[in-house]
Order: sequence, then structure tokens, then C-alpha cells
Amino acid sequence: MRYDVVVIGAGVAGLAAGARLAEKGARVCVVAKGVGSTHLAPGTIDVLGYDGDGRVESPSSALPAFVSRHPQHPYALVGADSVGPALEWFAGCVESGPKAGYRYVGSLERNTLLPTAVGAARPSALVPTTMAGGDLTDAAPICVAGFRVLRDFHPALCAANLARAGHEARSLELEIDTGRVEENALGMARHFDDSGFRGRFAALVSSQLKAGERLGLPAVLGVRDPQGVLTDLEQRLGRPVFEIPTLPPSAPGLRVYDVLKAALRAAGGRLVIGAEVAGSTRDGARVTSVSARASGRDHVYEARWVVLATGGVASGAIELDSDWLARENALGLPLSGAPTEGSARFDPDYFAEQPLNRMGVTVDSSLIAEGTENVLVAGASLPGAISWREGSGEGISLSTGYAAAKTVLEREGATAAA
Amino acid sequence: MASITTDVLVIGGGATGAGVAWDAALRGLDVVLSDRLDLSEGTSGRFHGLLHSGGRYAVKDPDAAVECIGENVILRRVASDNIEDTGGFFVTTPFDDPEYAGRFMQGCRDTGVPCEEIDVSVALAEEPRLNPKISRAFRVPDGSLDIWKTVWSMARGARDRGARILPYHETVAIHRSGDEVTGARLRNQRTGEEIDVEAGVTVSATGSWAGKIAEMAGIEGVRVLPGKGIMIAMNHRLVNTVINRCQMPTDGDIIVPIRTVSVIGTTDVHVEDPDDRTIAQDQVDAMLEDGERLVPGFKRARALRVWSGVRPLFEDAKADNVATRDVTRAHALLDHSQRDGVGRFVTITGGKVTTFRLMAEDTVDAVVRLLGRGGPCRTRTQAMPGSESGRYYHVGERLERKEEHLLDDQLVCECELIPRKRLEHGFKQRDTRNLDDIRRYLRLGMGPCQGGFCIYRATGILHQLDGMTAEDADNTLREFLEERWQGVWPVLYGDQLRQMRLHEWIFQGVLDVERAGR
Amino acid sequence: MNPHTPHPTPDTPLHELLRDSLDHCVKCTICETACPVSNVTPLFPGPKYAGPQAERYRDPAAPSVDSSVDYCSGCGICTMVCPQGVKIAELNAHARERLKNEKGVPLRDKVIARPTVLGRIGTPVAPLANLSLRLRPFRILAEKVIGVHRDAALPKFAGRSFRAWAKKHKSPPAQRRVVYFHNCGTQYYEPDVGEKVVAVLEHNGFQVDIPLKQNCCGLPLQSNGLFDDARKYVLRQARLFAPYVRDGAVVVGNATSCTLMLKREAREILELEDDPDLKLVSENTYDICELLLDLHDRGEFKTDFKPLEESVAYHAPCQQQGHWMGKPALDLLALVPGLRVHEMDAYCCGIAGTYGLKVEKYDIGMRAGEDLFRQVADSGAASVACDSETCRWQIEHATHRPSVHPIEILHRAYGL
Repeated sequence: MRYDVVVIGAGVAGLAAGARLAEKGARVCVVAKGVGSTHLAPGTIDVLGYDGDGRVESPSSALPAFVSRHPQHPYALVGADSVGPALEWFAGCVESGPKAGYRYVGSLERNTLLPTAVGAARPSALVPTTMAGGDLTDAAPICVAGFRVLRDFHPALCAANLARAGHEARSLELEIDTGRVEENALGMARHFDDSGFRGRFAALVSSQLKAGERLGLPAVLGVRDPQGVLTDLEQRLGRPVFEIPTLPPSAPGLRVYDVLKAALRAAGGRLVIGAEVAGSTRDGARVTSVSARASGRDHVYEARWVVLATGGVASGAIELDSDWLARENALGLPLSGAPTEGSARFDPDYFAEQPLNRMGVTVDSSLIAEGTENVLVAGASLPGAISWREGSGEGISLSTGYAAAKTVLEREGATAAA
Repeated sequence: MASITTDVLVIGGGATGAGVAWDAALRGLDVVLSDRLDLSEGTSGRFHGLLHSGGRYAVKDPDAAVECIGENVILRRVASDNIEDTGGFFVTTPFDDPEYAGRFMQGCRDTGVPCEEIDVSVALAEEPRLNPKISRAFRVPDGSLDIWKTVWSMARGARDRGARILPYHETVAIHRSGDEVTGARLRNQRTGEEIDVEAGVTVSATGSWAGKIAEMAGIEGVRVLPGKGIMIAMNHRLVNTVINRCQMPTDGDIIVPIRTVSVIGTTDVHVEDPDDRTIAQDQVDAMLEDGERLVPGFKRARALRVWSGVRPLFEDAKADNVATRDVTRAHALLDHSQRDGVGRFVTITGGKVTTFRLMAEDTVDAVVRLLGRGGPCRTRTQAMPGSESGRYYHVGERLERKEEHLLDDQLVCECELIPRKRLEHGFKQRDTRNLDDIRRYLRLGMGPCQGGFCIYRATGILHQLDGMTAEDADNTLREFLEERWQGVWPVLYGDQLRQMRLHEWIFQGVLDVERAGR
Repeated sequence: MNPHTPHPTPDTPLHELLRDSLDHCVKCTICETACPVSNVTPLFPGPKYAGPQAERYRDPAAPSVDSSVDYCSGCGICTMVCPQGVKIAELNAHARERLKNEKGVPLRDKVIARPTVLGRIGTPVAPLANLSLRLRPFRILAEKVIGVHRDAALPKFAGRSFRAWAKKHKSPPAQRRVVYFHNCGTQYYEPDVGEKVVAVLEHNGFQVDIPLKQNCCGLPLQSNGLFDDARKYVLRQARLFAPYVRDGAVVVGNATSCTLMLKREAREILELEDDPDLKLVSENTYDICELLLDLHDRGEFKTDFKPLEESVAYHAPCQQQGHWMGKPALDLLALVPGLRVHEMDAYCCGIAGTYGLKVEKYDIGMRAGEDLFRQVADSGAASVACDSETCRWQIEHATHRPSVHPIEILHRAYGL
């Protein structure tokens, strides 16, 4: 199989790079050993929430200083002003995507502060319309409602902690019949996609809500038609409704996957799930093909460019073995931030920054992996970031995925012109 | 200041202390059992999980071997619900002295440890992960013993007979009146309240801490050498039979399948402080290599966590430079009236978990003598609560129970198959607001995800119990996460590293538990 | 490195490696999001529960305690989507085999697991057999006696066998050779599909050898826990095809479940890693669309299609997705001028081989396929292309639209 670009990894970074490349006419195949982290992530687009311990109010204002203080950070590599276009592109994919009316709102200028499932406040640059109603800078009182059947969300704890932090919040636990004794957030979201269920829910909850309250629910506002679910509920209940991300599986995350996958497919890109890249061929510093495990035999994907968006440590893309040796599993690329003999690998304090947190594939400022000419790295496999503490995961994935695509297109264009 | 009176105050709620409380209660005595932390938070809760057949000591310490097999038989009768009848193998690997096998067989014969040589092919058929290059194999009646379950079962049994069980009560003073110990002052760690216990006899069942408690009673020279050993739990049962290397006892020579994990251990390093729980990296590395010798591919398997326990090695003769492993593993019962002229005070220390019942029997015999009251020991035949049927625990039990209630209840801890009702009941039974106590009681958060999914659920459920504030809930959640991390980071690689990255994403990213309530 | 497809080492037998793969599970729930069965019924607690989680509680020396694993349909989607490489479906298959062998395999399962037996019985009396299978009272009786749901999507006997045609067919000799593995569906129910496959291959310059002694690949036996019998069947096919492969041909098949059986499932689930014939065959087996797309990538595929101004929905069966090679049929259909192809975004139609036929699982199967059926309806397509015959029968039954193998569309577009 011959392609212009093979993207390895089907998370946000991989699908974004793949879709963007395909949009611009490249022949793209995204191969992944499984589904990416979208299904586990809250579904917000976090660019920069925390700089050290200080909460960031405005990513656009904070990024330049952040980048100069962290020259190894992915944002420094792609440049602080790469983030905006990537986010815009993503927002466009959502709007023109398969979820009618569903949009992301917010901007780089000002983080939206949303509640977490334990009632902490989480800063995000872009949030879906289904979450926007939970903005904590809004003073409207909040009623957090949960479902006894959904053990992955506890409204009382959420509301109590919101109250401790100075927000007016109370909670309700609802008993609603779903036909099961136990649901996860995705199961609930599928119920909410059904208007009959929504009717029952509205009937159950509306009399328990007070005037002026907005209603916070766990992240269950549908998978297929989240905007339809939101609009319907707000109409029935006559108040703002919003969802709060909680334990996986993440319905908002699945929507992101659906949107990016649709963008890739609509642009003519291919997607192969279940194919783990286990080898490659090289011609000097050029990777000429990757081979991926398939049933029966490996399949070879030839390409002029490779984008490695494999998800870092969490997905096993970068692995530490029991001899304390780290390796990048798909292409054997060199790593930065790997443990060295005698150095501490971990800090005994769970909440401290861990020495290995910033481990990733060594790249140059164009995201090209060291030792190669045509392999770019995007997303969590890059070094230099602790995305879950900075609140920067999706921002990094989108901006580096988008930047990788841009680099490939520029260089292809240069080659074509030459 | 509250004050209570009892026949026997037992300080130390490990296997021995709980065993003493159970034994004494069965003899009709009034008992108070205290521990500065949760029951079996000391050495007992940190042991290997092995119900010894005695084979390990058959050559090196025949007296210990005789005790072990004797107790093995008794415990199978009275504590069956806490025991898995895994059986055990002793195998000669290419790394072992082949001569030892003959001495091993002889030693087993001499000490009464049942031992049957089996064909290597039979051993490998039963245990396909075993090193295929083993040259000999012997079957022995090892088993695995769930000590938390055992300790709580005895505590419950004692409580049912009127005993008072006081975890989280630190001993701040031992009361003397002349040349007698009259009891102790305990401080409730949770509330700060102090309570005076007046006791007919005070028993120190404090294992590695016996020296410190004796000093509080004004007694010098109770010398217990803490011998620290590490153990690593592997994520699944690589073997279903206890596997021992057929050689003189050394490091990392046993793998015990217990509940859903297999545990390899152990080491033996003298430390000064019995509270020293640090884990040395080189010991971890060596332990993984030891595992590879018994089970090829061990180093690629997933390690869940590592912990240490300190053996109490009592040394009456004051010899220097003695390797702690060589000191006898037999137990020591010190009647201080005879030994030190201090009456109504007894220390029981040394020994090993497998022989806790015998240690307790000896202790309560001494207590009965000192009190002048109480009947004969009944723990050889009286089943512990839960073990009345005589049926062994089997690894599939929780799965079986879940399947019987497939559509009835929610699973809170999926790894350890803990249903919601069980958890809610557990909070009440243990009368605790602390997730770590529940962990020891039900195994919450002890599976592969180390609480990644269940701890938020459990915190939410806990928060709804009476008297629980969000602040308390947040604190216990954070403490739980920190505690789990302690055992994970020293052996964190491979799959478990992926897990902990997801764990961090969830707790620090999605939930941001550090900032909850701020 | 933890390989997605484990290969046994001298030290570690394959079964233990599959079991070892449970170590990769980080409980992330991604498999649960994709499971077509657990999403529609709580009777199956889900792939995470039944696979890596329950496996920690299974003792090979003790009886099976979790009968809920019987509700796993074996679609394999969980293994495909798992980002960590847990062999979930394979663990489930093993657990199910143990369960069934302890509890006894019902007669029904033994019967429906042998399509060749049914085929041989029904073919000579096809009109009568077909009529009976459409008579409600007969179906109700069959449901009560044998346990096949009265509404289950059963095919019609063709009344002739594919091999009867193949016997008389002489494939023009050519340099490029394939040996055709036609599968039971083609043999007894859809011999015309087989003829079209041969025609398309010959149109593209292949010599098509059709061994007449070929038989069932054993997949239905495997899915129903009859591993020993499954091994016999699949090894017989391996012995039959291996000499052709050694002689330079590749094996090609049109049934994606059956080619998957040869490519991977027999080796992993039946633990036949060591058999050299099977290994050779599995490494040289192709799905027909896979083969033709490879040809196209080399610039050698004939694209002399006439336009077909039609709209067709394409569903990739779960076991086609299990080939982990993407959806070659889509790319081939894209070459037909005028054809509008709507890619269905579903994991499983619910039939899962023989699963959806069973009285206690029919409803689950139909609910599992609901999302697909709705997408088909919403697409407005007049027909549905799908690579697996059992899926086609289910889709026709549920959507009341004809369902064809993608090859049939190419055949028509070629004008053969």
C-alpha cells in the first residue's frame, strides 16, 4: 500500500494530522493498534490551565511567557501562535461534522472554568455547548444531579466541594429506571439520545429544581445528537443544562472521535484500527515504510512521510521495561527524559512532578524525530509536557498534529515545485 | 478520662494478638485488643501469604518445621475459609544445588512434613509457567493464607464473645504498680481521646516492637532484631501452586498464589527501626531476577506493587554480626514475672505467621496461669467465624458470587469484584470512615488499577454516610492515592506504568482531586 | 515489547501468552464502549469483565464459575479496539470453551456448528427444506425442539452445490495462481457468488484452482466451544491448501469470517501455532477484496467498469474488521463510476455467525444490530454490500433490502 503519509495513532493528534493532510489532498492512512485516548478524556480542549501552580486565566496571554520559560515544551517547538489556527480548524470540523448543531465555544483569550466530578474547577480553552452552561464564573446557583444507577458520578460530593469553594451548589440523586441496575456514562448517554427517556427524566427532575438554578449532570448528554439532547432538555426544564466530565467512558470524548474520524473519512483518508506498527524499513534517514500487525501477516504501508502520534507512556507507545530501559516501540526512535543509571525515576509523593513525566521522542523544532528525515511526532509521544497537570493535553495534540500536517504539506509542496 | 477494666489487655493486633484475643475469649476471659494502627497493619498484614507446610525449614530448622506442619493441619480445620488449598511444589532449578533435594526429603520425613516426589513432567503440566529446566519436583501441603481475613475473623469472634476491639489506639504508657503491670493508657489516634485500661494481665503481642513496649514497662533487654523483607505482588496468578526452590532458604525463593495475585519474596536485611518501610531498589531488581529463575518471562509480567515487612527475630543471647535469617524462627514467650521480676506482663514475639495460633495458645496458657482463671485452649478445634463449613476458599469465589447476583447490584471495585452493598456494609461493620481500613477489609483498590476507578466511586459512597463531610472525603481519597503510590513506584515499569499514567490523568486531570474544595 | 499478536516461545505456551495479555489491561473501558452485546444487554457484563478481569479469578483446576461469558458473541471487536493489546475475545473464547465442555454442549450448538452436514442434508431436498424453513409452525417446532429462534435469519438452500459447478469449470491457465477457498455458505446457499468470484479473478488474469475436497474451516465449531472438532476441520483445510501455497499460489476466500479463521483465529484460539501447514496457509490467505486491492495498488487491477448509477450501503462485518487491514471493499467499490457508497459505521450486525440464531440470543443479536439497521435505512441506499454471508442474511432479514457481496457489484460493473 502506497501513501503520501502514514499516521500512526488514532487519538486526537493522529486523527487531526491525518484529517488535515487528507483535506489538503494528501493520500493518508491512519493506522492504530486500537482506539485512542478520546474515549477516556473529558472532551474539552485544554490549552493551558496551569503554569506551575498558578491557574491561567488567558492562554493567549500566558503562552508566550510559558513558552519562553519552557523551551523544550511542545508549544515552544511549534510556536505559541500555532495553537490558534489548530483550534479554529478543530472547531470547524465539529461544526461541519456529523453532530448537527454541536459546537465548541470559548477562546484562547479566556479559559472557561468548569466543574469536575469532585467539584474542583478546571480551566479549558474550548468547551462543547453541552458543558458551557457550567461556567463557574457565572454566579447562578447550581443543582448537581446524578443517578443512583450511575456509580461513576457522585453529585453530593461534587456539589459539596463546589460549595466549599464558594459556589452556590446543591445536589440531587435521582432514581430512574434504565432497565439495568448499573450503567456507565456512555450507557446513560445513549439513553439520553432517546427522546422518550428524556421526557421521563424531565418529568422526574423538573419539580425538584428551584427557580434560577442551572442543572449540572454527569457527561451523559448523548452521543449521536448532543445538541439535540441539550436543546430538548433546556426547553423542557426551562433552564441552562450542562454536563460534567467524569470517569471513563467519556461520551463527549467519543463525540470528538466521531467528529475527527468523519473529517478524516470525508477527506478520503483511510483508517485501520487493530494494526500495531511493529517494524519499518529505512533508506538512510528516511523511513520508507512501516509494517503493522494484521491477521495472518504484517501489512506494509509505504509512505513518504510518517507522523507518529502514538500516545506516549499511557498507551505503551513509550515503554519502560523491568531493566529500567525505555524505548519507543513503533520505530525505535530516540527518547529524551528517559531514566539514566542512578537517577531517580519517581518521587515518593504521588502529587509531585515525577521525573519521567516529560519523557518523549526527541524531535527538532519542526517536530521531526532525531535521526530521521521524514518522521514527525505529535501529541503525547512528544517530550517536555505534563499535560494532565498543565491542563494542556488537547491543545498539544491539536497544535502539534496540525503543525505536523503543515510541515509535511510545505515540504511536499517544495518537493513538487522543485 | 475514660477507663475500662478487663481480664486481659492484648497490645498488638496482628495475627498473634488477634489469636490471643480469640483464644482468651473462647476460654471465657474478658479481653481488650488494641493496636496503634488498624489490625494487622504491622508484620502480619505484610507477610508473604504462605501457609507453610514446613518444607522450607525441614533441613535448616527442624523444630520450626515440626511446628509449621502441626499448625498447618490445625488451621486447615479451623480457618478453612481463609485458606486456599493451593498445594506446593519444591523444585530443583538449574540454580540450585542438586544434592539438597536428598536432604530435603530426609528432613521432611524426620519432621513429619508430607512430601511426595513427582515427575517433572507432572509438575510442568500442572504449572506451565514453571522453568522447564527443573530437574526434580516434590509436592507438599503448602497453601495460601489470607491473614487480614483471618485476623478480622478472630477479632469478630472475640467481639461476639464480649471482647472490645480497639484499632488506632496507641499505647502511650504501661502502668506499673510496684513490681506489677496493671494495665496501660491508650490514645485514640483518630480523636485524641485517652483511655486507661486496667487489666488482670497485659500481653504484649507487638512482634518487632516488643522491645519498645517492654521498655515502657520498665523492662530492659527484650531484644528483637527487625529483619526486613520485601515482597512483590504480580498482577495475576502466574502459578496456582506455591512454588519453592529446593535449596537452603534464600532470597526470592518462593512464589505464592494468593487471591488474584502471585507474590514473590522475600529478602532479609537487618534494620534498626521496625517502622522502616523503605524499599531498596537493588532488592527489587534482584527479586525480579529471582522470579525469572522460577518462571521464565517473569520480568515481562506485570508487577503490581512492592511492600516490606519486618520479621521479629527474638535473640536472647546477645551475639553480634548474626545474619537475621540464621536466628531461629521459633517463637519466644516471655513471662516477665519469671524473667524480669515484673508481674502480670507477658511478651510474645518471634515466630512466624503460620504458627500464630500456637503462639497464642502458649500465651493464653500463661495468662490463665497468672490470672488463676480460664479453661483449656479450644482453638485447635473451634472454627473461626466464617470457617464453620470447613470449605477452603477458592480463587473464583468472588466471581462466582458476582455471577449469582449478576443483575442485582453494582460493582464498585471491578478488579476485586466488590459489589456496592458489600462496600456499604463494610463501612458499617468496620465502623470506619477511612478508605484504607476498607481496603484491608475488602481488598478495595488492590487490583491492577490500584484504585483508578473504584476509589472515586467508594469516596462518593462514603461521603453519603452519616457525619462525613466533603473535606473528610477529599482527605481520605487523597491519602488513599498517596498510600497506594508508596507501594507502586519502587516497582513501576511496563504495564503498571501505563496504568499509573491513566491513574494520573483521571485523578489529577479529569477530576483534579488536589483542588477539590478549594 | 508486548506484541498484539502473540507468538509462543519455547518457554511460554500460547495459552499462557494469551492469559499474560490480561496484564496489559488498564481497565480503561474502551472495549466496553465498542461491545455490541454488552451495550444492549446486561446478561453479558462486558469484555473487560469477561476477559482480563475474570481471567484473574479462573483456576484451570477448578470448575468454571462465570456462565455469563456464554453471552459473548465472539465478534472480536474488543480485541481490535483495545489500545493496550489485551487479547480479550480470545480469552473469552477459551473461557467459553471450558464452560461449555463442563456444562455440556447442547445438541443445537452441535448441529448448527456443522454447516456442511446441514448443507448436505438440505441441498438435495432444497425446495422442501426451504419451504419448511419458511413455515411458521415448523419454525416454532424447530425453536422448541432444537433452540433456533423462530425468526432467526436462515438462508435458502440453493438446491445445487458450488463444487458441482467447480468440477465442470476449467480455469484458463495463467502465471498468477490462486487457490479458492469457497466456504460453506457459497457451497450450499450462494454458489452464484462463488461463480462470480471466480469470474472476477479470471478477468484479472488469475488461474483459479478449486480443490474439490475442501470443507468447513471449523469456525462455527470453535465459536460453539467444540475445539477438538474445530481443530480437525481446520487442519484438514490446512493440509489441503498448503501444497498449493508451496507451489506458488495464494489462498483466496470470499467469506471474511472463514479467511480470518485461517489467518489468525485457528492459530490463536485453537492454539495451533506449531502446525507448519497452518502457519504457511495463514500467512498466505487473502480476502478477495484484499487481494484485488493489492493488485490495484500495483497498478494491475482491471478497472474496465461500466457505470452503475446506484447507491449502496457498505457494512464491514465484525470479522472482516478482525483482519485489521481496513476495509478494502470500500476502495474497490470507489472505482466503479457512478456508484455512491455509504460506509456504515457499525461494529456488528448481531448475527455473529451462529450466535444470533439461538433462541436465547436472537433478541440480543437484533438489538445489537439496530444501530446498523437504522443507518442503512437513513442512508436511503437500495442495497447493502457486505463481505460475510451470515451478515447478509441478517441484514436482509432486518432491513428488507437485498444484501450482496461486494464482488457481486464488481462482477456486474465488469459486465461479466
